[in-house]
Amino acid sequence: MSDVIAAPSIRALAREKGIDLEKLARDLGRTTIAREDLSGGGTAPVQNSHTTYWDVDHAQYGPVTEEPLSRFAQVAAGNLAAANAMIPQVTHHDRADVSAIEALRRELKPEAQARNVKLTALAFQVKALARALREFPRFNSSLTPDGKTLILKDFVHIGIAVDTAHGLMVPVIRDADLKGLWQIGSEITDLATRAQARKVGPDEMGGASMSISNLGGIGGTAFSPIVNPPEVAILGLTRTEVTPVWDGEAFQPVPMVPLDLSYDHRVINGAEAARFVTYLAGLLGDPRRMMI
Amino acid sequence: MSNHADLIVIGAGPGGYACAFRAADLGRKVVIVDPRATLGGVCLNEGCIPSKALLHAAQIIREAHEMADWGIAFSSPSIDLDALRDRKDSVVGTLTSGLTGLAKRRKVQTIRGTASFTDVKTLDIDGESWTFDQAVIAVGSAPVTLPGWPEDKRIWDSTAALELREVPQDLAIVGGGIIGLEMATVYSALGANVTIVELADQIAPGADAEAVQILHAALEAQGVTIHTTTKVIAVKATQKSIILNCEGGLEAKLTAGAVIQSVGRRSNGPKVAPEKAGVEIDGRGIIPVDASGRTNVDNIFAIGDVTGNPMLAHRATHQGHVAAEAACGHAAALETSLIPSVAYTNPELAWVGLTAAEAKAKDVAHKTSSFPWAASGRNLASGGGDGLTKLVYCPDTHRILGATLIGSNAGELLAECTLAIEMGATLEDVAMSIHAHPTVSETIAFAAERALGTLTDL
Repeated sequence: MSDVIAAPSIRALAREKGIDLEKLARDLGRTTIAREDLSGGGTAPVQNSHTTYWDVDHAQYGPVTEEPLSRFAQVAAGNLAAANAMIPQVTHHDRADVSAIEALRRELKPEAQARNVKLTALAFQVKALARALREFPRFNSSLTPDGKTLILKDFVHIGIAVDTAHGLMVPVIRDADLKGLWQIGSEITDLATRAQARKVGPDEMGGASMSISNLGGIGGTAFSPIVNPPEVAILGLTRTEVTPVWDGEAFQPVPMVPLDLSYDHRVINGAEAARFVTYLAGLLGDPRRMMI
Repeated sequence: MSNHADLIVIGAGPGGYACAFRAADLGRKVVIVDPRATLGGVCLNEGCIPSKALLHAAQIIREAHEMADWGIAFSSPSIDLDALRDRKDSVVGTLTSGLTGLAKRRKVQTIRGTASFTDVKTLDIDGESWTFDQAVIAVGSAPVTLPGWPEDKRIWDSTAALELREVPQDLAIVGGGIIGLEMATVYSALGANVTIVELADQIAPGADAEAVQILHAALEAQGVTIHTTTKVIAVKATQKSIILNCEGGLEAKLTAGAVIQSVGRRSNGPKVAPEKAGVEIDGRGIIPVDASGRTNVDNIFAIGDVTGNPMLAHRATHQGHVAAEAACGHAAALETSLIPSVAYTNPELAWVGLTAAEAKAKDVAHKTSSFPWAASGRNLASGGGDGLTKLVYCPDTHRILGATLIGSNAGELLAECTLAIEMGATLEDVAMSIHAHPTVSETIAFAAERALGTLTDL
């Protein structure tokens, strides 16, 4: 029996059209072939949905121009739609005091200049996240395709979402838990620069434990990032803001970074997420703890 | 003299007439040739149909007897063999004359005669030469005659057995395949003491062993004696009886008033002299064909039993349609290996796709799930006996790979399984399709539910 599942009428139609079902299934990455797959004699485009929301003649309301989506953008769109549709995700919001990190960065500025490394807040956030993932191994995992097994990873790679002219790219910092801040800082700069030029190799993407989407340089107080499968969580960051914090006697001006953790609720429950983010905020508030 | 056929079909069995009619419907001028006076071949004239008529009679006799357990007692039936034979022949007559009408309506020219090739474009039909553009070989098969057996009127093949010449007191059946088992069912109901001798280690070789066990027990309960792993090494015809010398499972002499040979069928391919047209044929008389039914010679097709096993009418019919379409230039092919098998015994044994044993032999990942008919309300209420529905499925995808059913009307129920497998259905698909209650068809859904752990009926 063929491994390709197709009804007898579909097999007959394929023969009539001269379509090799086994090849078509391989091309589509599927085991089941439907009548729709045979239209046009080649691969059928993946439809966003079966609704007609987008089937509108916009020109009737005013002037429009068309901009075809790049192949890259089409793939990304499909992946995002699938991730959003398939993963029951929840976003947990918190914020972390970054006074200590800011002070350390100011202190290290001359050395950073001497080393020619940009020691950004993101470098600290990557390092802190790597440490948190070692503390909470369940956040460093992936589900098997059948959803019956959790694969726990004994490595910590952090993906960094980079906004480029040709679309979103997510290069990965490997073994971030083993690397120092100088190295992480220089790798971030290097990967971000090469991502802009579209010079990041396929081996430098994928396999992340978790990804960070950092909008701190642009603005915002909070957002809900979409989990990047097969990862089970993503950390969103927006702009650090000086916030009045009650210290027991008076309000103090404290720079706080908003943390938004979206997670796959099939793997992580709300209490775990809250503990994870609290721990992460603790590391960011007192970076000395990262060494303990 | 200019005898010419656009498309000629040699043989008017279920493959041949289906092919001829389909080609005619596609606009071809078709000639069909067969030595029989009627269309329909072995299937209609001396196979599937007459045997089913007799099996129906056997079933009524048996059921009437069984009704004693329900408080309804019938006296023993008086059997008028001549009237029964007439009835069977009239069923055959109705169907064959129906076929003649279908042929006429399609303007298919029928010729009674025996055809054989003289070259790649001509045939000899009883001394007359016919030219043709395309030909389809559909001459079927004949019962295998065992070598070294004496010539005797009391040694029957399946054709002779269906003529219903007499009901011997003791009947031996050599070969426990589907045909032998059906004949055992008929003749034991008609009152004969039937003994089956089978070479293999089970009757219905190739069928699921667990289901066969149920059939074996049922036949024995009906008074049929079965000897498996037994070989007939010598046959002697005396004035009083036929004596079979057996070895293996039974080391003894069997004495019978008549013997049915049902050890298989052999292709009639060589009878049309295909080699004269350059058509390849192997040592067993099988003509190799591609998926469209085309032989190695471009304008000559072959369908049905001459193309090998399984030698079944429904396979021939489908091959006939495909060959007709291919001959008319359509992209047609027989793209399935799913040929259902049914033994119309009591109970019926039906299977399609992979059996567990086959899956194991082919190293196909599989599991089985079954539902006993003893737990089917409809089966019990209808007086059905022991039965079983068994599914073979892929443990990873839950796709159904094969099905075996044994019990009343198992052959009718099998169609759902065939469709399910053809459509690539999973256990879930079958389990979630609502089956009417109470029906025996539920056992198929129940077997699927049992595999899924959702069954509440066991």
